[in-house]
Amino acid sequence: MGEAGDDSGIPHATLLIEFAEAVLDPDENRIARARKAVAETMGEAALVDAAAVAGNFNAIDRVADSTGIPLEPEKAAMTEDFRSALGINDFGKARSSEAAE
Amino acid sequence: MATLSFDAAPVPIRDDIRADLPEVWADIGRPGTWLTAERRVAIAAEARNATHCTLCAERKAALSPFTVKGAHDILGDLPENYVELIHRVMTDSGRLSRKWHEAIVATGMTKGEYVETVGVIVCTVGIDTFHRGIGMDPPPLPEPEAGDPTPYTPPGLEHELAWVPTIDPARIGPDEAPLYEGGPAHIRRALTAVPATVRSFWKMANVLYLPGHQMRDFANEYRAITHAQIELVAGRVSALNQCVY
Repeated sequence: MGEAGDDSGIPHATLLIEFAEAVLDPDENRIARARKAVAETMGEAALVDAAAVAGNFNAIDRVADSTGIPLEPEKAAMTEDFRSALGINDFGKARSSEAAE
Repeated sequence: MATLSFDAAPVPIRDDIRADLPEVWADIGRPGTWLTAERRVAIAAEARNATHCTLCAERKAALSPFTVKGAHDILGDLPENYVELIHRVMTDSGRLSRKWHEAIVATGMTKGEYVETVGVIVCTVGIDTFHRGIGMDPPPLPEPEAGDPTPYTPPGLEHELAWVPTIDPARIGPDEAPLYEGGPAHIRRALTAVPATVRSFWKMANVLYLPGHQMRDFANEYRAITHAQIELVAGRVSALNQCVY
């Protein structure tokens, strides 16, 4: 993900992507390194806010997925091109394998 | 008794987080709308336990989770239908389906109990993830408080938008109107079948992320990371969770 982060034009993108991945990874050494890198490079307040955003989306993703709430049609239309390019539209395809249930 | 405190946090914590997350955590230990306090705390405990479940790990690795049979590794305080709901939401939420949801409620769990259970799960995972991010151990679970649930079905529920009922913004009652302040985005509707769950969840979300008006105010920054950096972290977490929304 490092290169993708560098290409985004967002300051410290690579650090933040690694932090987001490390928070969800059970590897304690990885999250410790990511935490230290964000705090030393961006500051402790940035670490708190990055952790907060990760916490929120680790929760809100589950709200959406467990209630079956659909994306608003206008938002789906606005994001159709990059959702396809990023493979996001493929995420739910396993759901169509319900015949196996 | 509050069991969540940031007094020993390794980094300075914002005042709004210090104020609101302990309230959300304490709510887990209180009688809910449909669930007792004991059950709510048991749900939070099982949510943590699910991340160590062998069956869930095998299902997560499988092409389809429904091809792997077996028994969950459980704490033993909850009925089987609650265990299945909690474990799947915790470990493979990106592959949940309407058919799976209907199978859960067909076991006798009401839609209200389902929504409230999801609310406890997501508040637990949100707060635990934040703790992991800042380098703190997850907080001790609250002690269940005495009392009975307070059953309540809000007016204006519709059954077409999602798997669970949601309040139709056009038919919302005055007590629930504040739930849609900032607009009835679908994600804000998701838990509205249980208004108390909505209030608790968004109390957490507003301090961990941004309140609606700040989220859309790109002319100003409200956090130590920019809107773009916030969305970068959010997007990566959601991609890892395979969240279509």
